[in-house]
Amino acid sequence: MGTTTKTVPPVTLTQRHLLGIEGMPVTEIEALLARSHFFASVIDGSIPDSDIPQSLAGKTVVNLFFENSTRTRVSFEVAAKKLGGSVLNIAVSGSSVKKGETLIDTATTLNAMHPDILVIRHHAAGAPLLLSRHVDAAVINAGDGRHEHPTQALLDALTISRKFGRIAGLKIAICGDIANSRVARSNLYLLGTLGAELRLVSPATLLPADIDQFGVPVFTDLESGIADCDIVMMLRLQTERMQGREIPSQHEYFNMFGLDEAKLMRAAPQALIMHPGPMNRGVEIDSVIADDIDRSLITTQVEMGVAARMACLEALIVGASI
Amino acid sequence: MRRLFHKARLICPAQALDSKGWLVIDDGLIAETGSGTPTDALLASADEVIDCTGLILGPGLVDMRAETRDPGAEHLETLDTLLAAAAAGGITSLAIQPQTDPVIDNAALIDSLQLRASRRQGPHLYCHGAMSRNLDGTQMAELGMMAASGAVGFSNGHSSIQDTQTMRRILTYAAMLDKPVMHHCEDISLSDGSDMNEGATSTRLGLIGSPIEAETIILERDLQLVRLTGARYHAAHLTTATSVEAVRRAKNEGLPVTADTSAPYFQLNELAVSTYSSAAKLNPPLRTEDDRQAIMAALADGTIDVIASDHVPVNPDMKHLPFSLASCGASGLEVMLVMTLRLVLNDVISWQRAFELLSLAPATILDIPGGSLVVGTEADIVLIDPRTSWIVTGRDFNSLSRITPFEGQPVEGRAVRTIVGGADIFIR
Repeated sequence: MGTTTKTVPPVTLTQRHLLGIEGMPVTEIEALLARSHFFASVIDGSIPDSDIPQSLAGKTVVNLFFENSTRTRVSFEVAAKKLGGSVLNIAVSGSSVKKGETLIDTATTLNAMHPDILVIRHHAAGAPLLLSRHVDAAVINAGDGRHEHPTQALLDALTISRKFGRIAGLKIAICGDIANSRVARSNLYLLGTLGAELRLVSPATLLPADIDQFGVPVFTDLESGIADCDIVMMLRLQTERMQGREIPSQHEYFNMFGLDEAKLMRAAPQALIMHPGPMNRGVEIDSVIADDIDRSLITTQVEMGVAARMACLEALIVGASI
Repeated sequence: MRRLFHKARLICPAQALDSKGWLVIDDGLIAETGSGTPTDALLASADEVIDCTGLILGPGLVDMRAETRDPGAEHLETLDTLLAAAAAGGITSLAIQPQTDPVIDNAALIDSLQLRASRRQGPHLYCHGAMSRNLDGTQMAELGMMAASGAVGFSNGHSSIQDTQTMRRILTYAAMLDKPVMHHCEDISLSDGSDMNEGATSTRLGLIGSPIEAETIILERDLQLVRLTGARYHAAHLTTATSVEAVRRAKNEGLPVTADTSAPYFQLNELAVSTYSSAAKLNPPLRTEDDRQAIMAALADGTIDVIASDHVPVNPDMKHLPFSLASCGASGLEVMLVMTLRLVLNDVISWQRAFELLSLAPATILDIPGGSLVVGTEADIVLIDPRTSWIVTGRDFNSLSRITPFEGQPVEGRAVRTIVGGADIFIR
């Protein structure tokens, strides 16, 4: 991993859909990452655009977003267009869903228009799985409730491996609102599968039940949790998904669990910072760190998102043609 | 009309009876029973002789907790479909929950439902009156007048009474009326917004979990109020090992406490929802395997007295949704018996214990006729073919509610004839 060549082949997956990282074979994860590296080289200009395979030529990708998102939706759109596909964005707020149409009805209706890939984001965990049972298209989960966000985990792994040349053995702390985070779950599976030394850091009230059974050390103190870590991945405090008052105040949260320069001193000397975005500046992360071009990988993550999604879109189209 | 059933295996826990024998129904009552083969004179005296070779003959099942949606949402379940489904499930008496629209919180509605049911040849229908007006959990409903109209007990459906003083008063008042209070135990501040049991599985699925304490906190509170008030208390659908332990302690202490569970809680665990299968989304939720084992043990050792159908009418509009948006509940009337038979076939309980759980105990708790084959009582009887194999298929249900977490499961044993007051109300 880490080397980029033109010879990396397109990936085929054993599943028709990309619904989550849990249970995905390590070989497929590695193949997707290798292919993502190739596309990343296109994005950074080391491989010319003309070399991009037009794997999605004549194919239709539908972005079906039941939750607002700019970054993920645009990322999928750019990725699909770079591969020659056409993209339809369905803004749910203006659609028949608001008139009471169910997810299955929406799926059936869209299916009749024969899209090739449906990219779905939904506030309910499991919605992409339900959708996948009612459509012929391949379904990509672009985030379902608190469950999974597989392409985010892939782009995070891509970002890390481009920076460090490896993932195995790196000490990575995932910090913040673990209970409400699909990014944490997908990364737990993906980075864990690739051999990273993970740890979770969160206030006790934002830890999901029985998280200690997931085989990763859990900390309720940020400074000891990130001690000697190569990467500190901060999560967004998902106030919109919270059940009640899990924390006393954002003021206390920033004080105890927000990443600032002083706390970051505990991490490895050259530790890098990640955040899936959008950030709550001054809540989970101090702007000084978020904007530190030497430490922050946050913009790189966005860039790598396009490459990782190109690999995923291509894999599902190539897989469907076999 | 004299009907003779012979060559059957007669089972009646009230008489500790389990033997090959015969039974005569005369004028709607159980006239005579005996073991072995009937005499020629007896055979000759019958207007109808029914050969029951290979069949079990026991008291008709008594389901102490089912919900109807008539009145209010007849597209989900009418009184007719409810009773037809019960009959097909071997049930001869059922007590419905007050969760109708309007709520069964007054004597008039009980009169109306019982009158309607009596016009139809089917299982006996009984009503639980609402504990609180409109199930609001604050204002006690007219328990006395409902009792006078035939309410067999009081329940607040799936709306657990949160206010302790209100619960105390209801128990005190029900004790005065000598009627049992059946309570669904759920601390709604702990279960708020939850989709399933809380634990590693809910974490993995990204669903909101409800801890077992949501059940046990209210149960433990209620048991203390029972000690205070002396009311007859029935804990509805126990699902956890901790709840079983609490009820066991209360019984050992001599408190007037009984409890039930339903088939999903002893046949399934929380992994049934691990692919977001909304058919297995129930309230209370399916728990862990350890809990399931504890529930089975409690059924065998007598801590849990009753198996109820827990029938909650639901339709595809309520279920074919992303898991967290789907409704709780499942059809139960037509799987209660067969899922209990699985415990018999697996040697968890005996046949007599099965009829105790399904018939004798609920009849005793509700103080209604039925539950035995005692001579002179009304002939409410079920005939079961224990060897017939079939596959649970919701669309074949008599109920309008055709969603079950047991869909597609191969099962053994089925009611083949259900008899109420000596007359067949169902024949397969």
